[in-house]
Amino acid sequence: MSISPQEENKAQTSESGGSNVEDLYLESYAFTTAAAIVGSVDRKIFVQLRDGRNIFGILRTFDQFANLVLQDAVERIYLPAVEGNGKERFAEVPRGVFMVRGENVVMLGELDIDKEDDHLEQRGQIHFGEAEAEFKALQAARMKEEKERAKQYLKRGLIHDYVKADLY
Amino acid sequence: MLTSIKNQEILVELKNGETVFGKLSNCDSWMNLTLTDVIYNYNNGEKFNKLEEIYVRGNHIKFLRLPDTVMEQAKEQNMLSIEQRNRTKGRRGPGNFQKRNNNDYGRENRTGGRNSNSSHNNSHNNANNNNNNNNNSGKRNFA
Repeated sequence: MSISPQEENKAQTSESGGSNVEDLYLESYAFTTAAAIVGSVDRKIFVQLRDGRNIFGILRTFDQFANLVLQDAVERIYLPAVEGNGKERFAEVPRGVFMVRGENVVMLGELDIDKEDDHLEQRGQIHFGEAEAEFKALQAARMKEEKERAKQYLKRGLIHDYVKADLY
Repeated sequence: MLTSIKNQEILVELKNGETVFGKLSNCDSWMNLTLTDVIYNYNNGEKFNKLEEIYVRGNHIKFLRLPDTVMEQAKEQNMLSIEQRNRTKGRRGPGNFQKRNNNDYGRENRTGGRNSNSSHNNSHNNANNNNNNNNNSGKRNFA
């Protein structure tokens, strides 16, 4: 993992600010395994799970499998706009202390807490139960589609790799 | 970390979407769990089953939801185990008083650093602690 220009920039700015010596120290090391997220500890992060869930919360600890512990976690569902009504929708529900088994993590990233809610202003919030039902329906439809596709592929002697658990 | 919340109620979601809610009675490093007084929820949340005890293979877990108080308890437990480790280390070699003193100085420095930082970077400090302990034990072996 080489240090990208962006990260270099960040390092310089924090150096000039003189605020976070620890950051500087950590960035000088090139972690490649699960240790790469050590810099995100005690920061707000976003995690996508293999079943399509999006979890937002403060990363408190992790281990070598990238098992994560998030505090004050929130699960958020994004849904497309209903036809006729232009607004995209979202729903969220608090999840408290949330521990994710590493193998179910697709990706995670640090959030900019100043900007994290900006995109929500263009979206309408709906009730979580409602959103969850709709989201599940969407996933079921996708599953059906993939199954059909797999069948078609198989007819032509091809294998369509689609794992049931991968709904992200 | 999980050991510190034994006997508390947690919710486990398995990879297939089934959920298990119960009191954590035991766990291991593979995240295998045994729960007691369990409510087992399957078939998309439509069916419930009450069980006395259940064993969950860690392999099959998607995520856990823990009580909010767990963070403080984990922290406490961590401190205790570090203290315990240091104490047993000190006891092991009665001959090398000098070395043990060195250890203590090191520890003082570390805690000083922690206070001045005053943020929640426990994990980093723990990592440091481990390193230091390893170094010290290495030294002792050479002597």
